[in-house]
Amino acid sequence: MDPSRTDLSQADDALVLRAQNGDHDAFGELVNRHQRRVWMVCRQYVGVGEADAAAQDSLVKAFTRIGDFDRRAAFSTWLTRIAINTCLDELRRRRREAIVDDESEGDEESNLLDRLPDDAAGPEGRSMQKQAVASLVEHEKTLPPRQREIFRLRFYAEMELEEIATALDVHVGTVKTQLHRAVHKLREELGAYR
Amino acid sequence: MKNHLEEHEITAAVAGLELEAATEEHLGSCVSCRRQVSAMREVIDARLEGLEAEAPDWERQRQEIMLQLPGTPMARPRRRRWTRPLLAVAAVLVAAIGLRALWAPTPVVEPGVPSELPVEQILAEVDAMLADDSIPGFELIDQGMDDAIFENGTS
Repeated sequence: MDPSRTDLSQADDALVLRAQNGDHDAFGELVNRHQRRVWMVCRQYVGVGEADAAAQDSLVKAFTRIGDFDRRAAFSTWLTRIAINTCLDELRRRRREAIVDDESEGDEESNLLDRLPDDAAGPEGRSMQKQAVASLVEHEKTLPPRQREIFRLRFYAEMELEEIATALDVHVGTVKTQLHRAVHKLREELGAYR
Repeated sequence: MKNHLEEHEITAAVAGLELEAATEEHLGSCVSCRRQVSAMREVIDARLEGLEAEAPDWERQRQEIMLQLPGTPMARPRRRRWTRPLLAVAAVLVAAIGLRALWAPTPVVEPGVPSELPVEQILAEVDAMLADDSIPGFELIDQGMDDAIFENGTS
Protein backbone atom coordinates (compact mmCIF):
# COMPACT_ATOMS: atom_id res chain seq x y z
CA MET A 1 0.00 0.00 0.00
CA ASP A 2 1.43 3.37 -0.92
CA PRO A 3 2.03 5.99 1.81
CA SER A 4 -0.91 8.18 0.87
CA ARG A 5 -3.25 5.21 1.11
CA THR A 6 -1.75 4.29 4.47
CA ASP A 7 -2.45 7.81 5.74
CA LEU A 8 -6.01 7.60 4.46
CA SER A 9 -6.45 4.24 6.13
CA GLN A 10 -5.20 5.57 9.45
CA ALA A 11 -7.52 8.54 9.23
CA ASP A 12 -10.34 6.12 8.44
CA ASP A 13 -9.54 4.12 11.55
CA ALA A 14 -9.97 7.16 13.78
CA LEU A 15 -13.30 7.96 12.15
CA VAL A 16 -14.43 4.34 12.39
CA LEU A 17 -13.69 4.31 16.10
CA ARG A 18 -15.85 7.38 16.60
CA ALA A 19 -18.59 6.00 14.38
CA GLN A 20 -18.58 2.76 16.36
CA ASN A 21 -19.36 4.83 19.42
CA GLY A 22 -22.39 6.32 17.73
CA ASP A 23 -20.86 9.47 16.25
CA HIS A 24 -22.96 10.11 13.15
CA ASP A 25 -20.78 12.99 12.01
CA ALA A 26 -17.79 10.67 11.89
CA PHE A 27 -19.74 8.24 9.77
CA GLY A 28 -20.80 11.15 7.56
CA GLU A 29 -17.13 11.91 6.99
CA LEU A 30 -16.52 8.28 6.07
CA VAL A 31 -19.36 8.55 3.57
CA ASN A 32 -17.72 11.66 2.12
CA ARG A 33 -14.45 9.87 1.67
CA HIS A 34 -15.75 6.66 0.15
CA GLN A 35 -19.08 7.31 -1.55
CA ARG A 36 -17.49 7.85 -4.96
CA ARG A 37 -15.80 4.49 -4.97
CA VAL A 38 -18.87 2.73 -3.59
CA TRP A 39 -20.97 4.26 -6.33
CA MET A 40 -18.41 3.33 -8.98
CA VAL A 41 -18.33 -0.27 -7.76
CA CYS A 42 -22.12 -0.45 -7.78
CA ARG A 43 -22.15 1.14 -11.23
CA GLN A 44 -20.10 -1.77 -12.57
CA TYR A 45 -22.43 -4.40 -11.17
CA VAL A 46 -25.97 -3.06 -11.38
CA GLY A 47 -25.68 -0.37 -14.04
CA VAL A 48 -26.20 3.35 -13.93
CA GLY A 49 -29.94 3.17 -13.25
CA GLU A 50 -29.59 1.37 -9.95
CA ALA A 51 -26.11 2.40 -8.89
CA ASP A 52 -27.28 5.28 -6.72
CA ALA A 53 -29.77 3.18 -4.76
CA ALA A 54 -27.31 0.33 -4.39
CA ALA A 55 -24.59 2.69 -3.19
CA GLN A 56 -26.90 4.25 -0.60
CA ASP A 57 -28.02 0.82 0.51
CA SER A 58 -24.39 -0.29 0.86
CA LEU A 59 -23.41 2.74 2.93
CA VAL A 60 -26.39 2.40 5.27
CA LYS A 61 -25.57 -1.31 5.66
CA ALA A 62 -22.03 -0.34 6.52
CA PHE A 63 -23.38 1.91 9.26
CA THR A 64 -25.50 -0.85 10.74
CA ARG A 65 -22.55 -3.24 10.76
CA ILE A 66 -19.76 -0.90 11.68
CA GLY A 67 -19.65 -2.43 15.15
CA ASP A 68 -18.46 -5.64 13.54
CA PHE A 69 -15.60 -3.98 11.67
CA ASP A 70 -12.43 -5.08 13.45
CA ARG A 71 -9.84 -3.23 11.34
CA ARG A 72 -8.14 -6.39 10.12
CA ALA A 73 -8.65 -5.04 6.60
CA ALA A 74 -8.75 -1.43 5.46
CA PHE A 75 -12.14 0.19 5.94
CA SER A 76 -12.34 0.93 2.21
CA THR A 77 -11.84 -2.76 1.40
CA TRP A 78 -14.45 -3.82 3.94
CA LEU A 79 -16.86 -1.26 2.53
CA THR A 80 -16.18 -2.35 -1.04
CA ARG A 81 -16.95 -5.90 -0.05
CA ILE A 82 -20.29 -4.78 1.37
CA ALA A 83 -21.03 -2.89 -1.85
CA ILE A 84 -20.21 -5.90 -4.02
CA ASN A 85 -22.34 -8.22 -1.88
CA THR A 86 -25.20 -5.75 -1.88
CA CYS A 87 -25.11 -5.62 -5.66
CA LEU A 88 -24.84 -9.39 -6.02
CA ASP A 89 -27.77 -9.87 -3.65
CA GLU A 90 -29.79 -7.44 -5.69
CA LEU A 91 -28.85 -9.17 -8.93
CA ARG A 92 -29.65 -12.59 -7.52
CA ARG A 93 -32.97 -11.30 -6.34
CA ARG A 94 -33.81 -9.99 -9.75
CA ARG A 95 -32.35 -12.99 -11.52
CA ARG A 96 -30.39 -10.87 -13.81
CA GLU A 97 -27.04 -11.24 -15.46
CA ALA A 98 -24.23 -10.43 -13.03
CA ILE A 99 -22.80 -7.53 -14.91
CA VAL A 100 -25.19 -5.22 -16.66
CA ASP A 101 -24.39 -4.53 -20.26
CA ASP A 102 -23.97 -0.90 -21.09
CA GLU A 103 -25.52 0.73 -24.07
CA SER A 104 -23.17 0.82 -27.00
CA GLU A 105 -22.23 4.27 -28.16
CA GLY A 106 -21.11 3.30 -31.61
CA ASP A 107 -20.10 0.64 -34.05
CA GLU A 108 -17.17 -1.59 -33.54
CA GLU A 109 -13.98 -0.15 -34.90
CA SER A 110 -10.74 -1.91 -35.57
CA ASN A 111 -7.28 -0.63 -34.86
CA LEU A 112 -8.60 2.33 -32.95
CA LEU A 113 -5.62 2.61 -30.70
CA ASP A 114 -3.25 2.81 -33.62
CA ARG A 115 -5.35 5.47 -35.24
CA LEU A 116 -5.57 7.69 -32.21
CA PRO A 117 -3.55 10.83 -32.85
CA ASP A 118 -0.96 11.79 -30.26
CA ASP A 119 -2.96 14.83 -29.29
CA ALA A 120 -6.48 13.67 -28.62
CA ALA A 121 -7.60 17.16 -27.66
CA GLY A 122 -8.49 18.28 -31.19
CA PRO A 123 -11.85 17.56 -32.87
CA GLU A 124 -10.47 14.59 -34.80
CA GLY A 125 -8.77 13.26 -31.71
CA ARG A 126 -11.92 13.55 -29.64
CA SER A 127 -13.95 11.76 -32.27
CA MET A 128 -11.42 8.95 -32.51
CA GLN A 129 -11.26 8.64 -28.80
CA LYS A 130 -15.03 8.48 -28.57
CA GLN A 131 -15.03 5.61 -31.03
CA ALA A 132 -12.26 3.88 -29.13
CA VAL A 133 -14.20 4.22 -25.89
CA ALA A 134 -17.33 2.82 -27.54
CA SER A 135 -15.31 -0.09 -28.79
CA LEU A 136 -13.81 -0.62 -25.34
CA VAL A 137 -17.29 -0.72 -23.82
CA GLU A 138 -18.42 -3.27 -26.38
CA HIS A 139 -15.40 -5.51 -26.00
CA GLU A 140 -15.54 -5.36 -22.21
CA LYS A 141 -18.81 -7.24 -22.52
CA THR A 142 -17.09 -10.11 -24.28
CA LEU A 143 -14.64 -10.68 -21.46
CA PRO A 144 -15.26 -13.61 -19.12
CA PRO A 145 -17.18 -12.32 -16.06
CA ARG A 146 -14.26 -12.57 -13.64
CA GLN A 147 -11.89 -10.76 -15.99
CA ARG A 148 -14.45 -8.08 -16.65
CA GLU A 149 -15.11 -7.64 -12.96
CA ILE A 150 -11.43 -7.32 -12.12
CA PHE A 151 -10.75 -4.99 -15.05
CA ARG A 152 -13.54 -2.67 -13.98
CA LEU A 153 -12.63 -2.69 -10.30
CA ARG A 154 -9.04 -1.90 -11.23
CA PHE A 155 -9.63 0.91 -13.68
CA TYR A 156 -13.02 2.37 -12.86
CA ALA A 157 -13.21 1.84 -9.11
CA GLU A 158 -9.45 2.49 -9.07
CA MET A 159 -8.69 -0.25 -6.59
CA GLU A 160 -5.27 -1.62 -5.78
CA LEU A 161 -4.60 -5.23 -6.79
CA GLU A 162 -4.43 -6.36 -3.16
CA GLU A 163 -7.71 -4.64 -2.39
CA ILE A 164 -9.40 -6.40 -5.29
CA ALA A 165 -8.03 -9.72 -4.10
CA THR A 166 -9.34 -9.14 -0.60
CA ALA A 167 -12.70 -7.85 -1.75
CA LEU A 168 -13.24 -10.79 -4.11
CA ASP A 169 -11.69 -13.33 -1.77
CA VAL A 170 -9.16 -14.51 -4.33
CA HIS A 171 -5.38 -14.67 -4.38
CA VAL A 172 -3.63 -11.56 -5.61
CA GLY A 173 -1.88 -13.70 -8.22
CA THR A 174 -5.29 -14.54 -9.65
CA VAL A 175 -6.10 -10.85 -9.89
CA LYS A 176 -2.86 -10.16 -11.74
CA THR A 177 -3.39 -13.01 -14.15
CA GLN A 178 -7.00 -12.15 -14.90
CA LEU A 179 -6.21 -8.48 -15.27
CA HIS A 180 -3.35 -9.20 -17.62
CA ARG A 181 -5.59 -11.41 -19.76
CA ALA A 182 -8.32 -8.80 -19.80
CA VAL A 183 -6.01 -5.99 -20.88
CA HIS A 184 -4.36 -8.23 -23.45
CA LYS A 185 -7.71 -9.18 -24.95
CA LEU A 186 -8.95 -5.60 -25.02
CA ARG A 187 -5.77 -4.29 -26.61
CA GLU A 188 -6.03 -7.03 -29.18
CA GLU A 189 -9.67 -6.22 -29.89
CA LEU A 190 -8.97 -2.54 -30.13
CA GLY A 191 -6.25 -3.29 -32.64
CA ALA A 192 -3.14 -2.44 -30.74
CA TYR A 193 -1.09 -5.14 -32.38
CA ARG A 194 0.39 -4.10 -35.64
CA MET B 1 19.44 -1.41 -23.56
CA LYS B 2 16.77 -3.94 -24.50
CA ASN B 3 14.82 -3.88 -27.74
CA HIS B 4 11.21 -2.80 -27.86
CA LEU B 5 8.98 -4.28 -25.20
CA GLU B 6 7.13 -7.44 -25.90
CA GLU B 7 3.37 -7.56 -25.92
CA HIS B 8 3.06 -9.06 -22.45
CA GLU B 9 5.25 -6.28 -21.08
CA ILE B 10 3.16 -3.57 -22.70
CA THR B 11 0.06 -5.25 -21.33
CA ALA B 12 1.57 -5.43 -17.86
CA ALA B 13 2.48 -1.76 -18.04
CA VAL B 14 -1.06 -0.84 -19.06
CA ALA B 15 -2.48 -2.93 -16.23
CA GLY B 16 -0.18 -1.27 -13.72
CA LEU B 17 1.48 -4.55 -12.80
CA GLU B 18 4.98 -4.73 -11.43
CA LEU B 19 7.60 -4.45 -14.17
CA GLU B 20 11.19 -5.58 -14.28
CA ALA B 21 13.76 -2.84 -13.87
CA ALA B 22 14.96 -3.23 -17.47
CA THR B 23 11.39 -2.93 -18.71
CA GLU B 24 10.84 0.21 -16.66
CA GLU B 25 14.06 1.66 -17.95
CA HIS B 26 13.17 0.96 -21.55
CA LEU B 27 9.71 2.39 -21.09
CA GLY B 28 11.22 5.54 -19.71
CA SER B 29 13.37 6.08 -22.78
CA CYS B 30 11.37 4.61 -25.68
CA VAL B 31 8.73 6.90 -27.12
CA SER B 32 7.21 4.15 -29.24
CA CYS B 33 6.61 1.71 -26.39
CA ARG B 34 5.44 4.47 -24.09
CA ARG B 35 2.99 5.53 -26.75
CA GLN B 36 1.51 2.04 -26.88
CA VAL B 37 0.94 2.06 -23.16
CA SER B 38 -0.47 5.55 -23.01
CA ALA B 39 -2.81 4.98 -25.96
CA MET B 40 -4.66 2.24 -24.10
CA ARG B 41 -4.60 4.14 -20.83
CA GLU B 42 -6.06 7.21 -22.51
CA VAL B 43 -9.01 5.21 -23.78
CA ILE B 44 -9.60 3.71 -20.34
CA ASP B 45 -9.30 7.13 -18.73
CA ALA B 46 -11.77 8.54 -21.22
CA ARG B 47 -14.19 5.75 -20.34
CA LEU B 48 -13.72 6.58 -16.65
CA GLU B 49 -14.49 10.22 -17.34
CA GLY B 50 -17.72 9.14 -19.01
CA LEU B 51 -18.67 7.06 -15.98
CA GLU B 52 -17.92 9.94 -13.63
CA ALA B 53 -20.22 12.15 -15.65
CA GLU B 54 -23.06 9.77 -14.71
CA ALA B 55 -22.31 10.06 -11.00
CA PRO B 56 -24.92 11.55 -8.69
CA ASP B 57 -24.62 14.74 -6.68
CA TRP B 58 -22.40 13.49 -3.86
CA GLU B 59 -23.61 15.99 -1.27
CA ARG B 60 -27.23 15.14 -1.95
CA GLN B 61 -26.46 11.44 -1.71
CA ARG B 62 -24.62 11.97 1.56
CA GLN B 63 -27.52 13.93 3.01
CA GLU B 64 -29.99 11.22 2.03
CA ILE B 65 -27.83 8.62 3.74
CA MET B 66 -27.43 10.72 6.87
CA LEU B 67 -31.20 11.17 7.07
CA GLN B 68 -31.58 7.39 7.29
CA LEU B 69 -29.10 6.95 10.13
CA PRO B 70 -31.13 8.03 13.18
CA GLY B 71 -33.70 5.31 12.57
CA THR B 72 -31.14 2.70 11.68
CA PRO B 73 -30.03 0.31 14.44
CA MET B 74 -26.27 0.10 14.71
CA ALA B 75 -24.38 -2.98 15.84
CA ARG B 76 -22.22 -2.15 18.83
CA PRO B 77 -18.58 -3.17 18.70
CA ARG B 78 -18.16 -6.84 19.50
CA ARG B 79 -16.30 -7.76 22.63
CA ARG B 80 -12.93 -9.13 21.80
CA ARG B 81 -12.81 -12.89 21.77
CA TRP B 82 -10.44 -13.15 24.70
CA THR B 83 -12.51 -11.12 27.14
CA ARG B 84 -14.99 -13.89 27.94
CA PRO B 85 -12.43 -16.55 28.90
CA LEU B 86 -10.44 -13.97 30.85
CA LEU B 87 -13.50 -12.92 32.82
CA ALA B 88 -14.35 -16.58 33.45
CA VAL B 89 -10.89 -17.25 34.85
CA ALA B 90 -11.05 -14.17 37.05
CA ALA B 91 -14.43 -15.28 38.42
CA VAL B 92 -13.07 -18.76 39.21
CA LEU B 93 -10.12 -17.25 41.03
CA VAL B 94 -12.28 -14.98 43.12
CA ALA B 95 -14.65 -17.84 43.97
CA ALA B 96 -11.77 -20.14 44.90
CA ILE B 97 -10.24 -17.60 47.22
CA GLY B 98 -13.61 -16.84 48.79
CA LEU B 99 -14.46 -20.52 49.37
CA ARG B 100 -11.04 -21.20 50.77
CA ALA B 101 -11.50 -18.40 53.27
CA LEU B 102 -14.93 -19.70 54.28
CA TRP B 103 -13.84 -23.33 54.70
CA ALA B 104 -10.63 -22.61 56.56
CA PRO B 105 -10.88 -23.48 60.27
CA THR B 106 -11.60 -20.48 62.34
CA PRO B 107 -8.52 -19.68 64.35
CA VAL B 108 -8.94 -19.75 68.07
CA VAL B 109 -8.60 -16.27 69.24
CA GLU B 110 -6.91 -15.91 72.51
CA PRO B 111 -8.38 -13.14 74.57
CA GLY B 112 -6.27 -10.08 74.18
CA VAL B 113 -4.33 -11.47 71.19
CA PRO B 114 -5.17 -9.91 67.77
CA SER B 115 -6.18 -12.46 65.11
CA GLU B 116 -4.02 -12.83 62.01
CA LEU B 117 -5.03 -13.95 58.55
CA PRO B 118 -2.60 -16.32 56.84
CA VAL B 119 -1.69 -13.60 54.35
CA GLU B 120 1.51 -15.23 53.15
CA GLN B 121 -0.27 -18.53 52.52
CA ILE B 122 -3.08 -16.89 50.53
CA LEU B 123 -0.63 -14.94 48.41
CA ALA B 124 1.40 -18.06 47.72
CA GLU B 125 -1.71 -19.90 46.55
CA VAL B 126 -2.73 -17.04 44.30
CA ASP B 127 0.77 -16.85 42.81
CA ALA B 128 0.72 -20.59 42.18
CA MET B 129 -2.63 -20.34 40.36
CA LEU B 130 -1.53 -17.41 38.26
CA ALA B 131 1.68 -19.19 37.30
CA ASP B 132 -0.26 -22.19 36.07
CA ASP B 133 -0.29 -22.06 32.26
CA SER B 134 -3.12 -24.49 31.97
CA ILE B 135 -5.76 -22.22 33.44
CA PRO B 136 -8.98 -23.18 31.67
CA GLY B 137 -10.17 -20.70 29.12
CA PHE B 138 -6.85 -19.28 27.91
CA GLU B 139 -6.47 -21.94 25.28
CA LEU B 140 -9.46 -20.26 23.56
CA ILE B 141 -7.70 -16.95 23.13
CA ASP B 142 -6.15 -17.58 19.76
CA GLN B 143 -8.76 -19.99 18.59
CA GLY B 144 -10.51 -18.61 15.56
CA MET B 145 -8.03 -15.75 15.11
CA ASP B 146 -7.53 -16.88 11.56
CA ASP B 147 -11.18 -16.41 10.76
CA ALA B 148 -11.45 -14.80 7.39
CA ILE B 149 -11.81 -11.07 7.65
CA PHE B 150 -14.47 -11.36 5.04
CA GLU B 151 -16.95 -12.24 7.71
CA ASN B 152 -17.26 -8.52 8.10
CA GLY B 153 -18.39 -7.88 4.58
CA THR B 154 -20.74 -10.72 4.08
CA SER B 155 -24.35 -9.87 3.88
